[in-house]
Amino acid sequence: MRLLLIEDDPDLQRTLATSLREEGYAVDTASDGVEGVRKALTGTYDTMVLDVMLPRLDGWGVLETIRPAVPTPVLMLTARDTVPDRIKGLDLGADDYLTKPFDIDELLARLRALIRRSAGRASTTHELGDVVIDTAARTVTRAGEEIALTPREYSLFEYLALHRGEVVSRADLYDHLYDEDDDSLSNLLDVHVSNLRKKLGHDLITTRRGHGYSIA
Amino acid sequence: MSSFLHSIRWRIQVWHGVILLVAIGAFCVTAYHFAWDHQMRRLDRELQDSERLLIRTLMDYGQKPGDAPVPPEKLAEALRAHQITLPPAVAAQFTGTTYFTLRDADGSVLLQSDNTPADVRPLPVPTFGFGEDVRSVGNRRESLRASSRGFSSVFGRDITREIADMRRFGLILAASGLGAWVLGLVGGWWLAGRAIKPIATISHTATRIAEGNLDERIDTTGGDSELDQLARVLNQTFARLQASFERERRFSSDASHELRTPVSVLIAETQRILRRERTPAEYHEALQTCQNNAERMRGLIESLLTLSRQEAANNRAAHQPCDLADILRDTVGQLQPLATAHDVQLFADLTDAPLRGDAPALGILFANLIRNAVQHRPATARDGRVDIACRRDGDCIVVTIADNGPGIATEDLPHVFERFYRADKARTGGTGHTGLGLAIAKTIAENHGGTLSVQSQPGKGATFAVNLPVET
Repeated sequence: MRLLLIEDDPDLQRTLATSLREEGYAVDTASDGVEGVRKALTGTYDTMVLDVMLPRLDGWGVLETIRPAVPTPVLMLTARDTVPDRIKGLDLGADDYLTKPFDIDELLARLRALIRRSAGRASTTHELGDVVIDTAARTVTRAGEEIALTPREYSLFEYLALHRGEVVSRADLYDHLYDEDDDSLSNLLDVHVSNLRKKLGHDLITTRRGHGYSIA
Repeated sequence: MSSFLHSIRWRIQVWHGVILLVAIGAFCVTAYHFAWDHQMRRLDRELQDSERLLIRTLMDYGQKPGDAPVPPEKLAEALRAHQITLPPAVAAQFTGTTYFTLRDADGSVLLQSDNTPADVRPLPVPTFGFGEDVRSVGNRRESLRASSRGFSSVFGRDITREIADMRRFGLILAASGLGAWVLGLVGGWWLAGRAIKPIATISHTATRIAEGNLDERIDTTGGDSELDQLARVLNQTFARLQASFERERRFSSDASHELRTPVSVLIAETQRILRRERTPAEYHEALQTCQNNAERMRGLIESLLTLSRQEAANNRAAHQPCDLADILRDTVGQLQPLATAHDVQLFADLTDAPLRGDAPALGILFANLIRNAVQHRPATARDGRVDIACRRDGDCIVVTIADNGPGIATEDLPHVFERFYRADKARTGGTGHTGLGLAIAKTIAENHGGTLSVQSQPGKGATFAVNLPVET
């Protein structure tokens, strides 16, 4: 999952980005509203975390600019906790909000929910034959046994599972699994897929040559 | 009007009623007495006229024309000696209400009118000289005389009609007095109401303000009455209260707002780091982040408290004589290490500038301005300098702090003194930079009756000027 974090406070930006990366997200960051708009319009993101108080262009301005061209779900972080402030954000197209200071676990849970909803899934668990992925617990089991995946492998599998029945192109996977600073070689993707096949079974992920991968 | 005994209007009314009643009562009693006296004097004069007429008649009685009248002392003898018949004209005087009786020493009647009441009591005969009296007996008025020679006279008249007249007059007087009193009460009630009405208005407005409607003010007619003055004083008090509440509100709102981000960092960073085992280097880095943010919160809290205290401190009476040059020298000394760290040189051109002021606060003011000048430099800039000067200009002392840094953008200039306004947005979160320094400086300058202004052209540095009046 690729995420855009627009936050001007350097410490908060760093700690949030690190937390999210440790959770397997590919995180792009922006330190002001204008940079945020630019990245939101050019990048491909599964969700965005947007601070309200930003230099140059505030969070509401960012929302006004990117909606409706960018339908990515947006979670607003706000130091303002008055009801009108929250309503304003939601009415401008935010999908959720969190008031500072917030719990990192809550932020992660809300982001998972946003991504799940935008993929049109209500449940947190998906059964793919004898393989079950739980996006809330971030676990994958095969025949009731938990399979240890690296964050990258998990992200790749989760993305494919959430887009079950679709053919996901390699470009899509790069867009959603790697942040802008990532310069991993493209064959790394094949390595991750091959590792997943070893751990979860060879028939699970189908390669459509010239198109990409899919889970039936 | 909770209890009418406590209502000013009622109390005014009661006092007004009592005073009015006493005044009207006193007037009526006096008027009645005057009228009564007047009436009695008139009656007495009439009695004396009748008496004079009778005595004159008796003295002339039986004398031939040209003879001397009978002297008064011989009159009793003459009366004893002769049976006297009064002429009809004189007798007619003593038929209606007027009567007379002339008595001898033994009380025997010498001569009297037919209508003389039986219970007439002449004066007792004195041992020498004359006795005289005028008195009211029941419903009669009598003029009495007695001489030591044994002759006594009573002239009287029935005054039943006059007494009835006076009684009627008294009743009319009392009725009109009562009417005037009631009229006075009604007028007083109306007047008291009119006088109280602005107070009621003030009280209602004050109640609404106390209930939290801090924007409201009492309407003043612009006059100069006592109530207008009261309303103005109250309005000033309300304005000060509102400003103080507004400060409180802004302080807590600013404090919570500005503290949220560092608290978020602390929580997010500690939660992240505690998720699993980390290397010592990761722990070190996380703790460093936490420390930075804790220090940032401390700086924020201190700045907010300083600002709040300075905004509340406008007690010029506490100002002491001090010298701005000394304060500036101390401040420059304290900030020298910071300037060295930023590769900036401080130049001070100071002349003695004594004035009355709050020396610690002025120290904060100059320190904030100099720190601002030192810190607002790109790290790459060379030959940084800050010029600090103070000079006397008429009744003012002008302190200028000029840097040769990047200057302030024109659109930022009107806002640099606002709380948490940061011209260089990218720098938020930097240590010791809360966005409150210039707001604090401006507040301190204004507490000293002075001004703080800034001039800047982008690329040519910024000059802050503090203007402080010598006599504050």
